[in-house]
Amino acid sequence: MTTEPEHAIDVEKLTKRYGALLAVNDISFHVRKGEVFAFLGPNGAGKTTTVEIIETIRTPTSGEVRLLGMDVTTRKRDIVPRIGVLPQGFSSFDRITVRETIQYYARLFGCRNTDVDGLIELANLKDKSKEQFKNLSGGLKQRLGIAIALVNDPEVVFLDEPTTGLDPRARREVWDVLVSLKQNGKTVFLTTHYMEEAELLADTVAIISKGKIIAMGSPDELIERNANYLVLTLKTIDAAPFDIIQRMGFEPVHDRHKNIKVRVEHTDDVQKILNAMKDAGASSLSLDVRKPNLEAVFLKLTGEALREDSVEGVPE
Amino acid sequence: MSRRVIGANLVVSIKTFSREKSVMFFTIAFPIILILVFGTIFLNQDNLSFDLYVQDLDQTNSSAQLVKILELNGKFRITTIDSSINATQYAKDKKLNLVLVIPSGYEKALARRVGLVGGIPNAAFRDPNASVTVSFIYDASASSTSTKIQIIRSGFAVVNQGMSGQPPFIRAAETPMLTKRYRFIEFFVPGIIAMSVMTSSLSGAVNMNAELRQKGVIRKLSTTPITRTDWILSNILYQFLLAVISTMAILVVSYAVFSVRLQIDAWLFVFIVLEVFAFGGIGMILTRVANEAESATAAANFIMFPMMFLSGSFFPLEMMPGFLQAIARILPLYYVNEGLRAAMVLVDNTAALRYSAMIGVFATVVFVLGINTTKWEEGK
Repeated sequence: MTTEPEHAIDVEKLTKRYGALLAVNDISFHVRKGEVFAFLGPNGAGKTTTVEIIETIRTPTSGEVRLLGMDVTTRKRDIVPRIGVLPQGFSSFDRITVRETIQYYARLFGCRNTDVDGLIELANLKDKSKEQFKNLSGGLKQRLGIAIALVNDPEVVFLDEPTTGLDPRARREVWDVLVSLKQNGKTVFLTTHYMEEAELLADTVAIISKGKIIAMGSPDELIERNANYLVLTLKTIDAAPFDIIQRMGFEPVHDRHKNIKVRVEHTDDVQKILNAMKDAGASSLSLDVRKPNLEAVFLKLTGEALREDSVEGVPE
Repeated sequence: MSRRVIGANLVVSIKTFSREKSVMFFTIAFPIILILVFGTIFLNQDNLSFDLYVQDLDQTNSSAQLVKILELNGKFRITTIDSSINATQYAKDKKLNLVLVIPSGYEKALARRVGLVGGIPNAAFRDPNASVTVSFIYDASASSTSTKIQIIRSGFAVVNQGMSGQPPFIRAAETPMLTKRYRFIEFFVPGIIAMSVMTSSLSGAVNMNAELRQKGVIRKLSTTPITRTDWILSNILYQFLLAVISTMAILVVSYAVFSVRLQIDAWLFVFIVLEVFAFGGIGMILTRVANEAESATAAANFIMFPMMFLSGSFFPLEMMPGFLQAIARILPLYYVNEGLRAAMVLVDNTAALRYSAMIGVFATVVFVLGINTTKWEEGK
């Protein structure tokens, strides 16, 4: 008997090579029980390779990975019944209905007591339970995938890019399901390249780039540590504010919507800028003060955007 | 191996089958259509019966009797043409390939030849030089024309020989090689069974392994307790089920429509099982070699279609040139065809055993290779 481990997942010095390609480069981290742990990084950073090694479907080149205290390379048989997986690009049997698919996976796990209706409800698929898989939209398929990942009431749930390729509304609907998952107290390992997703759901975020973890902590910690400033955005038709702000010693820039963006250290600075504008008789149509998000953290740490369509962040 | 898991897979496969019309078509309807079409076409090979158009310009009892002789032969369905029309033109208009014209004066010439006096033959009045010319109006490009003319000539030879009053010198005795008389359809049915089991097993294995892998279903399954052995066994069991369904459909139609008489015993079961393993194995190997679902399907078709035509499923090997026959003998389907025919038609247990042993060895090798090439986990 192994003693009950403190962590759900322990990864020590994990490396994975595909020939000359170093996909995962000597990473170590721990996932506490009951937390939502997000692996945030761009495509090709090594997220899926790492998660698939933890899920026991890939073997590491070197390093040690333990899931609920068990070595993933030798104890697949014991691990599999205790985890639930939504793989990247999840798909299922085209002609099988939502309800039948859940029942099928429950049978694979030998679960007689799976609450099929409860899962259908959790994934918000009540109206679609008799629909065949091939007729479901992308968001519905992902929600079914999440329901299936729960058929065996797993202790650890892996969600590999659950919202990739979904439109914003479908993404939000998947997030609703993830939030209820979190409320149920499951340990969740999430990989994503959407920082909103990590920020919204994760207790701990590990930022991964080119096979290396470059930062780890709670979203607030990461932002505090790496992007401890505010971004003031002014919508204006006046050219004057830009010069006024520049003269004050700040470094304003125009974003692609011709708004003025300026990085400040404190809320006091915002007040000072607004006062200066008021004194000069310059006005703005609207203003917005925000703390930077994980996107900005990522940008700062790697010098590259998380997603190609990314518009967030302020230049250093 | 888990019976629970295999059962769950079978349920999914059967539901998919019942909801996927194209699979249903290729498993049940396609072989039935083949049986009906080819069975009907080749029905005539057993019961050769040609259309023959006859114009009787003599219109006498004797000429009618000649027509009767041709009809009694059993090879012809005879249609008579009105004696007042131009037979050549008629044949052209109606696209007939052969018209037999009995000239007027047939009866009179016959009477002179046999020396008929007052209705009684009298040797003294016999005229050995009296003869009559029956003409053929024919289309030389039609393939059946020469066969028809030959049959008619042999009918005439019988009449001529009869007139000589002497018994024939050479007689022919026909002894069939088989104790029972078999019809073409009875040879055809085992070929169709072998063909449809091949197509369902091969494309089934490709679909299960290549398409589901490409879609990522296998990736999901590899995170559940199902093992590679469970998966392969479920597939083989399902392929076997399909094979049984399509064999039953073929047999029911063959018995109902063509009243075939076939030996149905354990050999049929043995050959189906071996064939499912053999072609399931080939499918698994193809999937690995091809890697992408489309190319795996293409590779499967590339193997299946030539095999169907070359291995003697549809027509006897003797019809093919020597080098094609040599190719046929290296095709696994040829041995299934021959084995099933040995078992179902010829009831030759020794031959069936020999063929089953050959396919058995092939199936074992291919299936073991197939299992070893089937990827389950995402790679090392």
